[in-house]
Amino acid sequence: MSAPLLSVRDLTVGYAGQLVLRGVSLEARAGRFTAVVGPSGAGKSTLLRAIAGALAVAGGEITFDGRRVDGAPAWELAARGIVLVPEGRHLWAPLSVRENLELGAFLPRARAAQDETLRVVYTLFPALEERQDARAGALSGGEQQMLALARGLMARPRMLCLDDPFLGLAPAITHRFGAALRDIARGAASVLAAGQHVGRLLRLADDAYLLDEGRVVLAGPGVALLGNERLRRTLLPLGPAPQP
Amino acid sequence: MRGAALVATLALLPPLIGFHPYYVYVLSTAFLFATLATAWNLLAYGGQISFGHAAFFGLGAYGAALTSLAGVSPWAAIAAGGAVAVAGALLIGAAAARLGGAALALATLAYAELWRGIAQNWTAVSGGGAGLVGIPPLPTLAAVPLDLTRGHTGSYYVSLAVLAAALGVFGLMTRSRLGLALRAVREAADRAALLGIRPITWKLASFALSALLTGLAGGLYVHMVRVVEPDLVFGRFFSIVPLVMAMFGGLHSVLGPTLAALGLHLFSELLLHPVAPALHQLPYAVALIVVILYLPGGLASLAKAPRD
Repeated sequence: MSAPLLSVRDLTVGYAGQLVLRGVSLEARAGRFTAVVGPSGAGKSTLLRAIAGALAVAGGEITFDGRRVDGAPAWELAARGIVLVPEGRHLWAPLSVRENLELGAFLPRARAAQDETLRVVYTLFPALEERQDARAGALSGGEQQMLALARGLMARPRMLCLDDPFLGLAPAITHRFGAALRDIARGAASVLAAGQHVGRLLRLADDAYLLDEGRVVLAGPGVALLGNERLRRTLLPLGPAPQP
Repeated sequence: MRGAALVATLALLPPLIGFHPYYVYVLSTAFLFATLATAWNLLAYGGQISFGHAAFFGLGAYGAALTSLAGVSPWAAIAAGGAVAVAGALLIGAAAARLGGAALALATLAYAELWRGIAQNWTAVSGGGAGLVGIPPLPTLAAVPLDLTRGHTGSYYVSLAVLAAALGVFGLMTRSRLGLALRAVREAADRAALLGIRPITWKLASFALSALLTGLAGGLYVHMVRVVEPDLVFGRFFSIVPLVMAMFGGLHSVLGPTLAALGLHLFSELLLHPVAPALHQLPYAVALIVVILYLPGGLASLAKAPRD
């Protein structure tokens, strides 16, 4: 098997003396959809933020495309191809939809392909083209989520990191969104997604990890994890099997 | 467009229709302050607040004065003043990599004081506290009728041209990649970094551009008043007044600071100064209080619906 595009080894990250990640190791391969699931507070967002350079790393190694990248600043990692779409959208609300997308394509590499990427993105999310002159803050929740993902795609990432991509989406949109993400993972960019929509993420995922209390407690193909007893116990100690 | 042409035509008139040279001079200094306010606003466009723009004004003034006194053409000397101001901006701009908000504002305040101290003590170069005298006036232009380029009239048109250039630069900036990056960085530098936008690169660019315009204004100023002193050009007046004008006119707006500068300066100099010389700076204080308490978006927010 080829070397993974992204490899995280023994990663520890803490806030104010409290360790949130306690030695996480995982790999994400090129052309695949990798999912990280876990209960709330397990460290999923922290993991993605550390990979994207938005958080300082306390220990361990992150390797991207054969190079050590832990400790590198976010802008440098983005230039190398790791782009994080953070949880909760974080758009530039006063700017237009179009301007938000242009900010996504700010890197020279992305800018050269801006028109082409924009066509792809508008095909994927026609609603964004219709509203390209609207203020991002005036979009509906679902449209904002699309815009956040679209902005990430505009950067032409090699590894797209998505934090809770289905948060706040209506079920009908979630379905289309999931299909779009899978297409992206097969073509434009490898995807590393974390979130609480366990069923949906695991069904999309080629490879998946279960994170609990800052540690990887289970790894394997997405569908295999879906039926795993350990996963059920971790996520729903008392309840039934996870639903999509 | 027609409105802009009308304003431009009106702006060209005063020296031609026999305004008293004193009024022509006061209008020229109003244009200079409008340039300073526009330049200050350009730095603020990226979310950086300066309390020390006198540093760049003074560096431009001294840079231009020394070059001019060395026998170089005043036009080249003014350009040299702009270059000196840019160099000074890159020094303090590097600190902006680690500072933001109030810390940056205080650092710039200290930076202007630092240059004032240097200018006061480095007597061999700066002339010390007494400053430099004998700076030549702006040269006349052979291609233009003498009456239009001589004395206060010449200064009037040059300062008007510098203001027009500053407004042009600001307008182009808001439509350019620089403007987009600065808006992104101003709202959320961390988020911009996730898209590969390195905040310090764009912050430095706005420091350099803001200092260039400020330094050119400083260089022009010394060729109008023909002397330069540390307490004058590095003084807090040139740090605070552009700030007040820009905030009163409207942070991030293109024309607001210019309107505020012209209004405040002319009101202060022409109406208040003759009747109450001791109180002629009062409008600046009142303007600042009005902006903070009642009009956070400045004059520009009166002209258009507020954007959040």
